[in-house]
Amino acid sequence: MKSEGEAGTVRILVVDDEPSIRKTLSTNLARHGYDVDTAETGYEALDRYSRKKHDLILLDLGLPDIDGLEVIQQVRQRASTPIIVLSVREEEHAKVAALDLGADDYLTKPFGVEELLARIRVALRHTVQQAAPSGGLLRCGDLEVDLERRRVRVAGEEVRLTPTEYELLRAFILHPGKVLTDRALLQAVWGPEYGSEAHYLHVYVARLRKKIEADPQRPRHLLTEPGVGYRLISDEA
Amino acid sequence: MLHLYGMMVRLSRFVFSRPWVGYAVALALTALITGLIAIVREGIDVANISMLYLVAVLASAVAFGTGPAIIASVAAFVASDFFFVEPIHTLTVSDPEEWVDLGLLLMTGTITGYLAAALRGRARAAQRREREAVVLYDVVRLMTSSDLRESLAAVAERLRQELALSAVVIGFHGGPAGGLFAEAGEQEALGLARASGMAPKLLLAGGVAPTPEHRGSPGRWIRVLPPHLPGQPGWAAGRLHEVPVRLGDGTVGLISLVRYPEAPPFTAADDRLLSAVGNQLAVAIERTRLREEAAEAEILRRTDELKTALLNTVSHDLRTPLSSIIASAGSLLQQDVRWTEDERRDFARAIEEEAERLNRLVGNLLDLSRIQAGSLMPQRGWYDLSALVDDVLGRLRSVTSRHQVVVSVEEELPPVFLDYILIDEVFANLIENAVKYTPPGSEIAVRAIRTNGAVRVEVEDRGPGFPPEALPRLFEPFYRVQREGQTARGTGLGLAVAKGLVEAHGGQIWAENRKTGGARLVFTLPLGEPGQAPVEAAGESE
Repeated sequence: MKSEGEAGTVRILVVDDEPSIRKTLSTNLARHGYDVDTAETGYEALDRYSRKKHDLILLDLGLPDIDGLEVIQQVRQRASTPIIVLSVREEEHAKVAALDLGADDYLTKPFGVEELLARIRVALRHTVQQAAPSGGLLRCGDLEVDLERRRVRVAGEEVRLTPTEYELLRAFILHPGKVLTDRALLQAVWGPEYGSEAHYLHVYVARLRKKIEADPQRPRHLLTEPGVGYRLISDEA
Repeated sequence: MLHLYGMMVRLSRFVFSRPWVGYAVALALTALITGLIAIVREGIDVANISMLYLVAVLASAVAFGTGPAIIASVAAFVASDFFFVEPIHTLTVSDPEEWVDLGLLLMTGTITGYLAAALRGRARAAQRREREAVVLYDVVRLMTSSDLRESLAAVAERLRQELALSAVVIGFHGGPAGGLFAEAGEQEALGLARASGMAPKLLLAGGVAPTPEHRGSPGRWIRVLPPHLPGQPGWAAGRLHEVPVRLGDGTVGLISLVRYPEAPPFTAADDRLLSAVGNQLAVAIERTRLREEAAEAEILRRTDELKTALLNTVSHDLRTPLSSIIASAGSLLQQDVRWTEDERRDFARAIEEEAERLNRLVGNLLDLSRIQAGSLMPQRGWYDLSALVDDVLGRLRSVTSRHQVVVSVEEELPPVFLDYILIDEVFANLIENAVKYTPPGSEIAVRAIRTNGAVRVEVEDRGPGFPPEALPRLFEPFYRVQREGQTARGTGLGLAVAKGLVEAHGGQIWAENRKTGGARLVFTLPLGEPGQAPVEAAGESE
């Protein structure tokens, strides 16, 4: 699964203040075909990023100089480069804040390398898809959303959704693979004045699952990220 | 001085509390003046010499008040008539003019005496009020000291002197200061005060509390007799007085006062003063309670902060090395990559180093909990410090790889009596600390020299040094130096543990900034007493 590598080497920036993590990750990622660059501090990361425009950033939140959250903010002001947050901060608020600021995914330390490689692949595919929306028709596994006609098919079968359910699914399909926080989803679907009414969201996610999942109890598309939000994945990841 | 003052107070109280003394002195003064006039009249003839009697009248008025003054003027009138008016030695008067003189003497004496006595009364009332104010003020001041027991002892002594008492005991049996106890005075009287439950006593009953419209009253003394009085010695009766200290609705303490056997009863002013002191003590106790509560709340808050800090740093610092270990081990296990020998070794080394780091952290945590629980027992032996330093540096090679470590251990340094593992940890913590806060490539100096009776070890770096405000807190557990624009790093365990370990060896540890920049951590370890020389080559005999 190194399809991304073909179109030119994918450049990844690893930002972590721990030398051993930087070393291990760069050795490993380099062997998986990525071009790896490392930074020890937040400022160094921003400096390197502004010069090399990496395709993906692996970012530790606890940096010695500026907070990782600030790095996300600064990068997001300029580009939508996928950012995967690596953090030992298990507190929900740090993760949620990172995702709200525009991080694409998070991994809690300690993590396995296979898991990391999988997340990197998902985040990169998501950028590729965003770059080329095929004529208003978005696909995610056997899920197909026609943005122009507002139609949804699951495994070829047409599914009827209410307007709110459709808006919710649209928010997911525009960011496949990305973790969307409760707040981000509420604001995308219900409007900017919403943010803390998570129970609306949970009700609608449950309804949406009944319509698009073969087994709503064990969802394959619409996954819950406990305490954070939801994520739409295609089962081929 | 104080003793003299006490005697004077006692004397004046004795005189003023017995009215007949005043009258007797007034009569004696009149007699004195009569004698004086008789002597003067022997030599010269002075008109209106009897006016000298006014001196006796005024003196009695100022010293004893109106009554003795009037007695003095009447006595002067009679004495003058009897001794100096013709016919002498009779109370009859031949010349009617003499009647006028005598009448004038009586009138002047009475009026002057009355006026002088009134003035004296006012002056004494003002004095009493001032005394009350001064004593109360002193009590308030004494009670502001942070040591409650000391404050109470000072108040007891102050009361004892002011009221010329034999003993004063202040005790609290309930409320926030329950069990607190202070006393001042003479042994015998203290015994009586302590046994207050057994002796008959007078209790100052609660008076009327003041309202905005009405003045309060200090209450009055009630005689309290213990139920089994018949067996009790009578000497104690009437000497022991008690003033309750009330807080809210309950009595939380007692001021026990023991008077001298012959002392007069307390005056109304004394009663007022005592009841005010009682109230003041209650206020002070209440204030102390509030202060303690505030302090407790602060301690709880800080403990809570400490727990949070512990959870955060420990979770961070335990997981960080684990991340490297898991990532490296995971890499080695990956099937899809064929690692080179160098890469394999790198992963393995990362696993080893990070596991070592975890081990040090766990060791520090355990040590800290042992230090705080007071269960740290150094297993000491005689060791060569320079070998120990080499050992530590060898083990920390991966940590110090980016720094230049310079070691100088004084030659001829005698063996030191220490726990090898614990002092090894002290060195490791200090060196790791220096590495963490200084730029790569900079020098770290480790020095050991002999000073009087101790060996002094210094770990110096060329980093930014400690911010001055951090110096006093450096050795607090979980304290981390926070520099502007940087997040705090590390666990805040290393120096706290080093301090505990050094102190367990009877040594000292402190931090300072070098004049030329950089930080210096210094610790000392006591060298053996001259008498207890190290057992040479102890290792061989075992």
